[in-house]
Amino acid sequence: MPGVESLLRGAPALDAALGELAERLRRVTVQVHAGGRSAGAGVIWLRGGLVVTNAHVAAGPRADVVLPDGRALPARVAARDPRRDLAALAVAADDLAPALRVDARGLRAGELVVALGHPFGVANAVALGVVHRGPNGGRGLGGWLHADIRLAPGNSGGPLADIQGRVVGINAMIVGGLGIAVPTHVVERFVHEIETGGRGGVRAA
Amino acid sequence: MPAPSSDGLLAALSNDLAAAVDTVGRSVVAIHARRRIPASGVVWQPGVVVAAHHTIQREDDITLTLHDGTSVSATLAGRDPSTDLAVLRMADASAGAAPAVAPATDAPRVGQLVLALGRPGASVTASLGIVSAVGGEWRTWQGGTIDRFVRLDLSVYDGFSGGPLVEAGGRVAGINTSGLARATALTIPAATVSRVAGQLLARGHVARGWLGIATQPVRLPPALQRSLGSEAEAGLVVVNVEPDSPADRGGVLIGDVLLALDDRAVSDPADVLAALGGDRIGQPIALRVARGGKAERLTVTVGERPRARR
Repeated sequence: MPGVESLLRGAPALDAALGELAERLRRVTVQVHAGGRSAGAGVIWLRGGLVVTNAHVAAGPRADVVLPDGRALPARVAARDPRRDLAALAVAADDLAPALRVDARGLRAGELVVALGHPFGVANAVALGVVHRGPNGGRGLGGWLHADIRLAPGNSGGPLADIQGRVVGINAMIVGGLGIAVPTHVVERFVHEIETGGRGGVRAA
Repeated sequence: MPAPSSDGLLAALSNDLAAAVDTVGRSVVAIHARRRIPASGVVWQPGVVVAAHHTIQREDDITLTLHDGTSVSATLAGRDPSTDLAVLRMADASAGAAPAVAPATDAPRVGQLVLALGRPGASVTASLGIVSAVGGEWRTWQGGTIDRFVRLDLSVYDGFSGGPLVEAGGRVAGINTSGLARATALTIPAATVSRVAGQLLARGHVARGWLGIATQPVRLPPALQRSLGSEAEAGLVVVNVEPDSPADRGGVLIGDVLLALDDRAVSDPADVLAALGGDRIGQPIALRVARGGKAERLTVTVGERPRARR
């Protein structure tokens, strides 16, 4: 494995790699507008028009979504779970490219992670950080993914991804400077519950 | 060999960082010695843990959580508020925590990629940043000597004090603390940690030299400068001499103006502290003072600062 010094001599290549990574994430990240203003971000989860965001981003029954290709579509809030801070948006599209995902429970502290979102109204701003602590399998915040990364409110609902661009979580909040994300396995369960008719905390809205 | 793709470079960097956290993280322990969340510490040699002094709020009933989740009790071997370092001895030195890999001896460089690790609970936590400033030896406001000034551009979270600063290659550059400067994270270099830890293990405290005088800076009027044949514009007027202290025995009087110690001009009380390292205890030190408009030389045998004055 090359040492870090030689890696840093490859800084231009690293810049290019980060640029490619941001572009890969941009293609699966949407803008979510609610009540006529930008409320946050969302991640394309299913090809058939399902977008995942935070419950606090999609607070009402309807929202508007701007897709990566620029299309603006109305969305129905198909399910909402404030406890997990997740919401599913249904849009009338069947040709969406869903995000690649990987289970966040395999992450190690110190691994690089990237967030994409729209902080302060700046579309598709990228942030780089590291895994502070992986999800510990517990309930509450300990079960979420903690990242040492600089996020802002417009990152809510957007993707946190590993260095290969695979989504590991949905950015949900900032606590004591740490970015806290809902890990993918929790999102997969939430989406599975919607597909199988709703269970637990999932309520059709 | 074909050049690795840019993608591979990023992945390799990410892997190196995670591997450094994994390796060094095995030597990072949680210290339960206060009411709030635990603080961090580093196994510095077998059975010995270094911590930040300000996080050790009780001296009994201290327990450590090791990387494998085992809990070990520990005793406080000593603490040095002036460098914000404390040393703990594990009750069971054979407990499963290996010392951190060989500490780095060369200076960190500005811009170097570094990780700060902590264990404010069961799992190791990490943050990534760079070294933002490196300077020479400096003295803390409590008079401790830190071999090198190292400031970080890096977020430090609750419970990080006492955790290691890790170079991306996996070497430990020092111990991080928020207790030495306001609103900024500093690193106590590995050389300072080893030096202070050695003294704390040997005697339970860091010995400091002592004269037994209190001083205040004064300007020296031009006429006095001329009569002293001195270029110095300021000195230190002695405002108190402790009875039976080294200075008292050496003939220092209240009202003397201290001009130099060992022929080095002094104009700030910190200059006196700087001249009184633990290695000077028992050694003579030459004082140049102005008394009655004339320069005089006195010789004082440096004593050890009494513990109550620490």
